[in-house]
Amino acid sequence: MLPYIVLGLFAGAIYALASLGVVLTYRTTGFFNFAYGGEAMFLAYVFWQLRDRWHLSQWISIPLLLLVIAPILGLILEGVFRTMASRSADVQIVVALGTLAFFTSFVPIVFGGTPHPLQSIFSPTASFTVSGTIVTANQAGTIVLVVAAGALLFALLRWSRFGTATRAVVDNRDLAGLIGVNANRVGQVAWIIATMFAALAGVLLSVQENLVTYVLPFLVLYSFAPAILGRLTNLPLAFAGAIALGVINSVLQKYGSAGFVAKLEGSIPYLALFVLLVAYGKRLVEVRSSVRLITGAHVIGDNTKRYALVGGALAVIGGTVLPQTLGASTVGDLAQAMAYAVVALTVVVLTGWTGQISLAQMSFAGIGAVVAAHIAGTHGGLFPLAILVAVLISVPVSLLIGIPSLRLSGLFLALATMAFALLMDNLVFSSNSIGGGLTGLNLTAAKIGPLRFESAQSQFYLCGVALIVTAFGALWLRQGPVGRRLQMVRDAPDAAATLGASLTLTKLAVFAACAAVASIGGALLAITQGTIAPVNFDSSHSLALLLAVVLGGRSLISGAVFAGGVQLVQLLPLNANVHTYLPLGIAVSVIMVAREPEGLPRVSLQQLRYCSAVLYRRRMRELLRLRPTTARTAHAVGSNV
Amino acid sequence: MSESLLAARGLTIRFGGLVALNEVDLDVAPSGITGLIGPNGAGKTTLFNVITGLLQPTAGDVRYDGRDIVRWSPQRRGRAGIARTFQRLDLFVGMSVRDNLRASWEASVPGGIFGRHARDGAALVDAMIERLGLEDVADRRAGTLPTGIGRMVELGRALCTRPRLLLLDEPSSGLDGTETARFRDLLVEITGTAQHDRPAPAVLLVEHDVRLVMEVCEQITVLDFGQQIARGTPQEVRHDPAVIAAYLGDSGAELTGARSTELTGARSTELTGARSTT
Repeated sequence: MLPYIVLGLFAGAIYALASLGVVLTYRTTGFFNFAYGGEAMFLAYVFWQLRDRWHLSQWISIPLLLLVIAPILGLILEGVFRTMASRSADVQIVVALGTLAFFTSFVPIVFGGTPHPLQSIFSPTASFTVSGTIVTANQAGTIVLVVAAGALLFALLRWSRFGTATRAVVDNRDLAGLIGVNANRVGQVAWIIATMFAALAGVLLSVQENLVTYVLPFLVLYSFAPAILGRLTNLPLAFAGAIALGVINSVLQKYGSAGFVAKLEGSIPYLALFVLLVAYGKRLVEVRSSVRLITGAHVIGDNTKRYALVGGALAVIGGTVLPQTLGASTVGDLAQAMAYAVVALTVVVLTGWTGQISLAQMSFAGIGAVVAAHIAGTHGGLFPLAILVAVLISVPVSLLIGIPSLRLSGLFLALATMAFALLMDNLVFSSNSIGGGLTGLNLTAAKIGPLRFESAQSQFYLCGVALIVTAFGALWLRQGPVGRRLQMVRDAPDAAATLGASLTLTKLAVFAACAAVASIGGALLAITQGTIAPVNFDSSHSLALLLAVVLGGRSLISGAVFAGGVQLVQLLPLNANVHTYLPLGIAVSVIMVAREPEGLPRVSLQQLRYCSAVLYRRRMRELLRLRPTTARTAHAVGSNV
Repeated sequence: MSESLLAARGLTIRFGGLVALNEVDLDVAPSGITGLIGPNGAGKTTLFNVITGLLQPTAGDVRYDGRDIVRWSPQRRGRAGIARTFQRLDLFVGMSVRDNLRASWEASVPGGIFGRHARDGAALVDAMIERLGLEDVADRRAGTLPTGIGRMVELGRALCTRPRLLLLDEPSSGLDGTETARFRDLLVEITGTAQHDRPAPAVLLVEHDVRLVMEVCEQITVLDFGQQIARGTPQEVRHDPAVIAAYLGDSGAELTGARSTELTGARSTELTGARSTT
């Protein structure tokens, strides 16, 4: 037992460090740092570059990393996030997720995507024995280092001026400002410390797990459960929770390291995250300043009919011309992009219209795809039944997630859906009997009644019709009582409440409907892909989907079409550089336009109009009318579909 | 007089050390207009927030229609027939005026969210738009309207729930003279006419325009610094020494010693004007 406990303490210590970092920034700045794993990975790579590539002595590279590079990164991030301080929760979450995507796409470009081992910063070979158990210097050193870092942070918060100021800020941000505590300075220091912790956690974790770009950020997600255990504010509890999590996970290995138990081990942190969110329920309170938040302005469109007409006309023209002129494989890609856009529409409805961030829409799509392949894989005629079953599975599952977490604020729904998506990755899609293992699942000849969807053209029409039907369904929803209910609660929550409007049920119904539509979209994706690799429906794809929709305009139907376009670009056989740099470009643009509910295309259009007006020296009044607008003013000026 | 529709007893609310309401009693008759007046900061809007459930009182209870509603959510109170307007306009700014009213109606009807009775709702909303004279702006976005019209929209929005108790928080502020006169007629009409199948709502009116209050209210409660200082008919309140003191300063008889900040100064003239006519 003892060896497992030592291993557990060692793993837990690293997560404890990360938990401290996440909680520290959250409680001082109110910003939940989804990007923490990305930072940790980036800094670990920087350390590897310094020490192993440039052969700087460890005595130089470690201080350089911890005292110069990490603080600078911390200050940069603090600067980025502070500009979002007065934005609504969904904007902040999107920016944090964009930052995570930035790191995960930036690191492979700069440092190369191949995994590297990283040698311990302690003596790599030394070890000693404690009552029969071998403890390596790396393990002992890690535990001592983390305990020391924790103790230092505790002392700092307890006895220093920074600690007093932090307590004042945590207690009441506005009052702290009034008595002369500089909340921004406190935030900066917190970010610096948190980023230093990220550097340490990244290096220590990479020694254990090697430098792997697609693993490290997810491992750091392990620290979210302890952070929630401390309700995102209690540092000692988060620390203890992380250690306990490490030990429990490690002790479980004693009882089996293969099959379901092994998978369960990997999932315990996500399971814990989900269970804790549900168990705490309404006792989880978001840290917020009392500044009135600028919510993204959403207007039930005046121009909806016009846009619907233009969109419909384009669809008809595209539908008749494209399948005839393009090659079969391109038409197939187009079909797949449209199926993807159907899933993206659910993100528009959820994120753009109800302000809920779901990080599990691709998991729901995955349910649809897997069910479709299992039911209709050999008997194509059963495809309608497959869709029915997919809906019957995804709706109860969405209620299971939604009922406990929708009563919570936006951040906690995002975390709950993320935990769910990771659980789906680990327990369901990775299962050979469900996900088909390495060979995947086949769905080649789906039929709906007499219609066979084998050729690319037929799939094109199927997905096109599905996209149009879904889009009009969403519009109809928005123009009707449901849309008004969502909007009234966004516009004036107090007034809506006193009129008797409750949102919980509406939100839940919308969430379930979106899960159902996403699973149908997933079944369509399965048809267009033919062979389904469940990896294509994992949590990172949900994240990519969310970011693409935000970029295209999360409050617009066209935002979903844009996301489909992004997917198309990734499917087409283009220059490899496009595929490498596209995710990075998306991440950076998302951080820049996250506050605009109408996304990049609309913002660029506004800028363009403004510039042309300046060039042609229009009258001042017109300039003012055309001035590029922020979200706050956009709703007085803009209109949308 | 019959039993009160709304009876608050001993309402106290503290924000930290500040006592915003101190043992306030309030009764609203099941019909007609009850006035609630007091200088700025007297606690009128706080009292509204307690009645509608946006604030929990530190102590005291609120009975509505014989039931204790102090633990009810704002939504439940809304569905039970309490509707209000806001001192600072709180419209659904992204929606058209018509949609503001329609959304409010849908919120008040069971199943409204699923489009039940949509036709009745549309008819009610159309009638309301006509009644309040909002035809010209019905399809304009609420966020672009001037304050005076916005107040009308808020009134319409509250009326679309067909309330039994209507709380109006300074409905005439921001209105000019003619608008105020029109509003007064409207108020009298509202409390005098049944709404479809339901009786006319009782109104609790918070108002700075003392003359308006004196004209339309049957009962008036006066608050100052979170305390109820007087209660009675307009006649009684007008002659109450405590009220005069609150509006004019501690030595109520001396007009020159008035607590004359700009706002209370204006009020005091109105009060004395009213007083000199009696």
